[in-house]
Amino acid sequence: MFALTPQTQKKLRRFRQIKRGYYSFLILVGLSALLACGELLINSRALVVSYQGELYFPTYGDFHPGTDFGLDYDYETNYRDLQARFDEADEGNWVLLPLVPYNPYENNAAGGVFRPQPPSAASQHYLGTDTTSRDILARLFYGTRIALLFALGFTLSVYLIGIAIGCAMGYFGGVFDLVLQRVIEIWSNVPFLYMVIIIFSVIPSTVAVPTRIGILLLVMVLFSWTGMTYYMRTETYKEKARDYVAAARIIGASNTRIIFRHIMPNVLSTLITFMPFTVVAAISAITALDFLGFGLPVPTPSLGELLKQGTANLRTAPWIVISAFGTLVALLTLVTFIGEAIRESFDPKTFSVYR
Amino acid sequence: MKKTLYCLLFSLCVAGCGESSREPTDTAGSADGLAGVTAEVEAYYAANPDFFSFKTPADLPPDLVWENNNHLPEIGSPDAIKGGTQNAAMQDFPRTLRTVGPDSNGGFRAYLLDDTGMTMAHLHPETRDLYPGLAESWAIDEAARTVYVKLDPAARFSDGEPVTADDYLFMFWFYRSPYIMAPWYNNFYSTTYTNITRYDDYTISITTRELKPDLDERVLLLRPIPQHFYTDMGDDFSERYQWEFEPTPGAYIIRPEDVRKGRSIALTRNKDWWAKDKKYWRYRFNPDRIQFTVIRDDAKTFEAFKRGDIDQFGLGLAEYWYEKLPDSDPDIQAGYIHKVMYYNQRPRPNFGLWINTAQPLLSDRDIRLGINYATNWELVIEKFFRGDNTRMNTGQEGFGEFTHPTITARTFDISKAQAHFAAAGFTERGADGILVNDQGQRLAFTLSTGYESLRDVLTILREEAAKAGLDLRIEVLDGTVGWKKVQEKQHDIFFTAFGVFLELYPRFWEHYHSDNAYDRAFLDDGSVNPERKLKTQTNNLESFAILEMDQLIERYRRSSDRDEMIQLAHRMTEMHHEHASFVPGFYQGFFRIGHWRWLRYPEGFSHKHAQGPGEAFVHWIDTDMKAETEAARRDGTRFDPVIRVHDQWAE
Repeated sequence: MFALTPQTQKKLRRFRQIKRGYYSFLILVGLSALLACGELLINSRALVVSYQGELYFPTYGDFHPGTDFGLDYDYETNYRDLQARFDEADEGNWVLLPLVPYNPYENNAAGGVFRPQPPSAASQHYLGTDTTSRDILARLFYGTRIALLFALGFTLSVYLIGIAIGCAMGYFGGVFDLVLQRVIEIWSNVPFLYMVIIIFSVIPSTVAVPTRIGILLLVMVLFSWTGMTYYMRTETYKEKARDYVAAARIIGASNTRIIFRHIMPNVLSTLITFMPFTVVAAISAITALDFLGFGLPVPTPSLGELLKQGTANLRTAPWIVISAFGTLVALLTLVTFIGEAIRESFDPKTFSVYR
Repeated sequence: MKKTLYCLLFSLCVAGCGESSREPTDTAGSADGLAGVTAEVEAYYAANPDFFSFKTPADLPPDLVWENNNHLPEIGSPDAIKGGTQNAAMQDFPRTLRTVGPDSNGGFRAYLLDDTGMTMAHLHPETRDLYPGLAESWAIDEAARTVYVKLDPAARFSDGEPVTADDYLFMFWFYRSPYIMAPWYNNFYSTTYTNITRYDDYTISITTRELKPDLDERVLLLRPIPQHFYTDMGDDFSERYQWEFEPTPGAYIIRPEDVRKGRSIALTRNKDWWAKDKKYWRYRFNPDRIQFTVIRDDAKTFEAFKRGDIDQFGLGLAEYWYEKLPDSDPDIQAGYIHKVMYYNQRPRPNFGLWINTAQPLLSDRDIRLGINYATNWELVIEKFFRGDNTRMNTGQEGFGEFTHPTITARTFDISKAQAHFAAAGFTERGADGILVNDQGQRLAFTLSTGYESLRDVLTILREEAAKAGLDLRIEVLDGTVGWKKVQEKQHDIFFTAFGVFLELYPRFWEHYHSDNAYDRAFLDDGSVNPERKLKTQTNNLESFAILEMDQLIERYRRSSDRDEMIQLAHRMTEMHHEHASFVPGFYQGFFRIGHWRWLRYPEGFSHKHAQGPGEAFVHWIDTDMKAETEAARRDGTRFDPVIRVHDQWAE
């Protein structure tokens, strides 16, 4: 099952030959790996605390109240202060902080007031702070992570629904196809943005933030799966008329078997070609929604929210818009490059214009 | 199938024809029916003889003392030049030009009515005394709770019709009419006043139900409604008059050709304005035209201002005053743009957290006290507003003696907050540092707001509250959606403020009377009605219902004795403080603006009770100076920078 056919091997080889796409892919994989263990890189919680001979690893797991480290408060320890205090006391206690010792939510006003601070290595705000003195790098980092996860979830769901319904339409054809096509036409004419606004205005606020992100995902998927069905339907129609499908049917293969074992592998190239562009669409959509204020709930870090802040402070804090815009452009370019490479390597015609 | 279609078409046609055949009859009816609603109005007057009285000048009490306060200082400056165009921006196009009825309570109403309209008398922005507007003089009979008014015979609406007593009689019919679809007006004008008497074309008296210390204001701040304009009143009022500009006795009119829906609207100065030479009015309303262009984005508006396309910009937010237009800005330093800050004294909008006590957990006073101690407004004021704003202590700030003198808001104190949360059963911290009780319930509430621009305030409060183990989930809603939510009483905690008029004493009934919290909150014996239901669409956002408070409010509303009212107000403020259902936020004791130097204000202008610089329309556009400034910007000529702070009214 997992043995690659010579044809697929050839495609992969070609993908590797297209350097731009291949390196983009490597970079994105590397970035995803970084994002996955982001808490170790950008976090206000220390990596290691050595206090009175005992080692603590606060990054994951329960919070440590200040009292754990001999402080006089019982809320979450401020490890940056703790480090300064340990250094000052010089009793052999030490704190190892991550590279960027801030989380994306805390307001850390270096200058005494909450205002955008320009990038500074001394304060470890490498990309500066936003209007309420939150670290931009931290917000970008976690914002990107959420956007990528969101895009992944979106793509998978859209594909699942799109493939299932599209294949069924193409395979069964007839009245089923006709009716479903009309339904899809009607459905795809429902204005998506209004639906998001309306649905979000009726969701009770008691719903927790992750659930609300899930609902947003669901709404977006509900209004985006239709595009996929068109391609799947025509592809299936085409494949269904081929001899190997007829042969399989004569042997007595079931519909499910024919769809999943015979037709699906043959339309895979269409699917894979579209995938990166769906990811791009998902990232753009979530960013746009955030920019308009209908996306992820406050104060979730997000690219769109940063872009909005940036455009409102173009003159006084250009670093906000530069970093948010730069990240977005880089991310979308990477995915698009990968997409083009996949498209070319899966293209049966060898004289493609893309290189 | 075809048959059905034909049937459908046919019925549509019938309906359509019915519509068109009804149209002319309607118009005909209004033509011969003595100008539309007149008959209906007359009948209403006749049916309510106690309210609408018709007498002769001989019936006026003989010993009336007529006054007109003609000794007050002038408003504005004799230096003011008439002419020029003032360019301004607005965020949203007004949804209607009506001043009453659905959608009429928008920001543009100030230019249709509140700041530009005329009533019998007006409050002087410096002394808070009444000065004459449409009234020539007035006389007060406290014993009879009545104010007698002689209208100025010279007063004219902008269409040339005189302002007469009939327009005041009609006003009561109008505001009580169901056609206007404005329940608040229906109620207010039915319950506050008990009589209007017409003595002759220009003499009326109006009687109020209760004798209040501000009897004169309650009557003299009433405006006339032009009866000759509203001839076709009916159920279609809101659509019929949607884009009709009501003739005004004031200085500015809106011409139909200046209404470009969704884009811009302009006020035009009425050059034949009847009051143009009158004391208190002659130096005001100077620009010939005030042009409002829709710019939906604040940042864009600011850029337009910096280009000189807009003459003035509000710099209330610290980020504008300190960051985007700092004193060091080249345009400021070259003297092209002036920065001015005005302190004022007036009732303050009650910014704060309104806690819905009808929600589970929030009904517990300890939880509410904990929330009071767990919200760090000091930090917000110090670090977000940069110390410019002031902490509110009660929900009734800026009412002079009526404001409680000693109560102070609870300050941020983690240990006190935790002590109160512990008393309510929240003793343990969960894995994320948020308190939980022994049933595993997290101490989490939704903190909603309709103020997009103040979302940062809430994120700061959230971070700080987490230290005390309180989780505030932030929900930033669109203004209208947020308002709907609180009106449905579905909120946990809501961050908002009510606009407060320049009134003598605060209102309590709206926010704290149980009538506005529940349907029948208490049983006859005074105990809590177990079956009471939340009342929606009221301003009692805290679902505040205490029997004793109700009694105090009723006494307060009936009372005519100023000292007693002060005492009652203090007592009620104390009860409200004790109940801890409101976390007082902040108020801004000033307003500040940046304006191009050609937009000029009178020397030393700073009105004590003003809410904004344009309220009294004392500014003018100096067109010569505008040309000079524009030339200077091209060739680099500089003027003296002007950065002024008028702090004579600082509290």
